Amino acid sequence: MMGTALSRWTMSYFTAALVFLVAAQVLMVAGYGFPAVAAQAPETLVLVHMVTIGWLSLLMCGALFQFVPVLVARPLRWERLVLPALICLLAGLALLLAGFLQLAGVFETGISLLALAGTLLPAGFLMVAGVLGASLWGGGLPLPARFVAVGLTCVLVTALLGGLFALLLSGFLPALAEIDFRTQALPVHIAMGLGGWLSFTALGVSYRLLPMFMLSPDRERASSRAVWWGGVAALALTALASPIAALVEKAGLREATNQTPLLAVVFGMACVIIYGFDLGFFYRHRKRRTIELNSRAAQGAFFALALSGLLLLALLETGTLERHLGALLYLVAFGWLTGLGLSQLYKIVPFLTWLECFGPVMGKKPTPRVQDLVMERRAWIWFALYFLGVLAGTEALLVDLPDLFRAAAVATLLATLAIVVELVLARRLCNVPENNRLPEGALRPRLFLPRLPLNSDKWRPQ
Amino acid sequence: MTHPDYELDVRQILREGGEPFTAIMEAVAALVPGQRLRLLATFKPIPLFHVLGSRGFEPSAREIGSGDWEVTFTPAAGQSSGAVTEPKSAADGIGAANETWSTPVVELDNRDLEPPEPMVRTLEGVEALSPGQTLAALLPREPVFLLEELEARGHRWRGALRPEGDYRIVIRRG
Repeated sequence: MMGTALSRWTMSYFTAALVFLVAAQVLMVAGYGFPAVAAQAPETLVLVHMVTIGWLSLLMCGALFQFVPVLVARPLRWERLVLPALICLLAGLALLLAGFLQLAGVFETGISLLALAGTLLPAGFLMVAGVLGASLWGGGLPLPARFVAVGLTCVLVTALLGGLFALLLSGFLPALAEIDFRTQALPVHIAMGLGGWLSFTALGVSYRLLPMFMLSPDRERASSRAVWWGGVAALALTALASPIAALVEKAGLREATNQTPLLAVVFGMACVIIYGFDLGFFYRHRKRRTIELNSRAAQGAFFALALSGLLLLALLETGTLERHLGALLYLVAFGWLTGLGLSQLYKIVPFLTWLECFGPVMGKKPTPRVQDLVMERRAWIWFALYFLGVLAGTEALLVDLPDLFRAAAVATLLATLAIVVELVLARRLCNVPENNRLPEGALRPRLFLPRLPLNSDKWRPQ
Repeated sequence: MTHPDYELDVRQILREGGEPFTAIMEAVAALVPGQRLRLLATFKPIPLFHVLGSRGFEPSAREIGSGDWEVTFTPAAGQSSGAVTEPKSAADGIGAANETWSTPVVELDNRDLEPPEPMVRTLEGVEALSPGQTLAALLPREPVFLLEELEARGHRWRGALRPEGDYRIVIRRG
């Protein structure tokens, strides 16, 4: 049975993630949260965490449970924690969202929901990091796995800071109330989450996935190592900006205090630029002449990443970063991370479905190809619509036109829904001609819950 | 008792980028005793010579123009059909500490295929072997999924990453 090579709960993580993505976009269309209200308003926090935890983090976790074993050529360790981690994350997120609604005055309870969320979410991420960390453990990590290792460290820092915020907002930890968390810890929370955990990990996984699906040379390159070092330097400087500033101030070098964030930006930019060169190398030196939709659509995400870098520089240059931070974060979350996520899901889901369905008869019976499970001619329209919607949305936020932003959100929502439908069709084998859809012995996969190993020998009475 | 040659034209499949291996093995299985297989392909299918040779077929190939080849596989005397003829001695090594593996009967180069095709073709090759026979394959990278699948199907393998960055595996059918 092929099941041993497939991460059992990955499709469940993906499904939960997509539900949150669609729900968040529905709220945006409805005009809920930013930009209708302030960026710090509880309503915005609901939206932000639906996207960052509900969609992006669950997607990343599900993908890593499948790909870390491929990256290190070892099976997943402590696999039985994968389902409890999902339950913990979902329950924690539900409590977090409810806690924000409580802050917004939507309802009242005597229970501190945020404090509960601030415990459950870090616990969930700790389990995720435990499973993946244990699987990575053992030395001799290839470069993509080293990116993931850094990403896991960052998610723990992010979750820990998030937990502290939740406890502070709930009135616990009065001793910490003196520290200005909003200016000192919040930027670290955001940078570690979006930059360290989601972006840096995505970079690492792309270093393996892109060459794998385009058949490009994927030997470790000096430039890729430079991206890793640049990213680690940028993340470390960001995380330690406040302690470094305090130290510098103590040493009496007041004028030097602002150099740390700037240095972090320089390292981060260098990292993105060299990554761009690496991507160019992969696309140019691919052995497959026809490039599949997942790799084509990923170019939209890479473009959005480059655009995010340029926008950050422009906003820093004009001193309008604070005013337009929302537009920048929207472009990062929806253009780069969501764009990359959706484009890779378009390959990963059919690939996993193929393995699950045809793995048992592989080599014994004629099977359709993975590409037969999808209909690229139709799906490229959805990706084009998606990226156009994101560009228009970013533009609308930059020029403060909330109604235009909602219209753009309609376009991205429709595109997302269409891509979800394409994924369901692939999973149901609807695009495969009926006559070779299910050769004898092939298993029709379930939509998102794993098949329990009821047929396996170990369940039979001896 | 003579039967007309069984003719199989896989040129269309090959031109469309498909993999005719399964169709060929099905044709071999469908041969009646003494019947020859006449195969039309767009290249000289040398790996197939090994596979069918190990099943007692004698290949003879000739170019028929525009780069196409006609290969006739004639069953050797006493060979009834595509049934397994591999001497059982090849399986002797199973369980022995210093087992020796027979020379691979097939060499596959699957380096330029997109996943999961390297695994699909390797497994197709393995399934076509007789127990104890071995197959060697070059793969674009360490085949994590394939190794687990081989184990699940009871085959044995030896493999290593090569300095060139690809992976060479020798599989013995269990």
